[in-house]
Amino acid sequence: MVTVAIRLLPDDVVLQGRPGEPILDTLRRAGYSHRFGCRRGGCGVCRVDLVEGSTTDGAVVSEAVLTPEERAAGVRLTCRAVPDGDVTLRLREDDTLRCVSPFLARYVTRSSLT
Amino acid sequence: MSIMRLGYVHARVTDLEASRSHYSDTLGMEVKAEGDGKLYLKGWDEYDHHSVVLEEGGVGAVKFGFKVSHATDLEQYERALQQFGVTVERMAKGDNLATGDGVRFISPTNHVFELYHEMDYAGTETGTLNPQTFPRHLRGVGVPRLDHTLITGDDVEGMERLFIDCFGWHISERVIASPEEPTCLATFLSAGHKAHDLAILKGPDSKLHHFAFILDDWNAVLRAGDLFAMDDVPVDIGPTRHGITRGTTIYFFDPSGNRNEVFAGSYTSCADFPTITWTADQLGRAVFYHARELNDRFLSVFT
Repeated sequence: MVTVAIRLLPDDVVLQGRPGEPILDTLRRAGYSHRFGCRRGGCGVCRVDLVEGSTTDGAVVSEAVLTPEERAAGVRLTCRAVPDGDVTLRLREDDTLRCVSPFLARYVTRSSLT
Repeated sequence: MSIMRLGYVHARVTDLEASRSHYSDTLGMEVKAEGDGKLYLKGWDEYDHHSVVLEEGGVGAVKFGFKVSHATDLEQYERALQQFGVTVERMAKGDNLATGDGVRFISPTNHVFELYHEMDYAGTETGTLNPQTFPRHLRGVGVPRLDHTLITGDDVEGMERLFIDCFGWHISERVIASPEEPTCLATFLSAGHKAHDLAILKGPDSKLHHFAFILDDWNAVLRAGDLFAMDDVPVDIGPTRHGITRGTTIYFFDPSGNRNEVFAGSYTSCADFPTITWTADQLGRAVFYHARELNDRFLSVFT
């Protein structure tokens, strides 16, 4: 399967995203999590900053949640943003990348890297 | 003179077709009308034309409608609201599809509420003459009816005063910071005999926490959870039980991120019952009775 590399700062964790997969889904599949809310683009809690690469939203995100200015400045919602290719993202200072399932992190992440 | 129930919720959605699938196929509501970027839906046990209106563009709540028992109530409530000091205006028949004239006001939490007495009668499949207990071919969860809503705002006490002074409601339960610091963090307001028809949580003004559909019992809640798994509906929490209201519950999100709830159980409340009080140090148990701890979304994710 063709995958994209999703690099998450500041922890510098790299996960392999599947085609069409929103970033939050990749994290969860790989045993990781960060601050998220509704998972449907409505609450804006899962916002991160895009450092490198580009993304396309898999479904409509309201401009009331993510303003055009924020979007232009690189703000993305991980529940909706699907990487176009390899991307680098930075979590906000009040957000933390958490390994919630070391089991999945060990086996899913490793196997998808090979 | 009384407010009978939460009659309708108008919510904004980002994708009307995805919302149709959620509210109609997964929850099993019936689409009664559509057009102008709006869907009008009702539950199977609701006699009125609709209880949920979905409007394309944005997220969150547009407004909430309460149905009053007598046409003359509107005038009296209008006066009471004016006296209370909130912005009040008249709405005309037809301002809302299939809905009569009424009174619109902006609450201290900056939400739009409407009081109305008439809505077109749609009836139910089971009817009113020697009816069966439920329609045989319900879809998905098959929600019978809209039950209550929880909104957020800063002036929780102001909302209590308004609903008590203007409408004669009572407070079934409250959350306070502590006995020494009795700031109200949440209140559960009853129009009649339910533990809550409207609840307000301390938080940002104008926001929606959730609107809820009543189910028969815990088994129905569990079955709803199965359907949410089948349909990949994001679940916030549950199935579990609340300490507050004692209701069994699942919280989940619609395709635009608006939180919904299926709710069952709870208890009968009366105006002469004392208010149940919870303190913030017991909030975990008050909200999620079994886990006794909050998750990181429940009190921070709103639309």
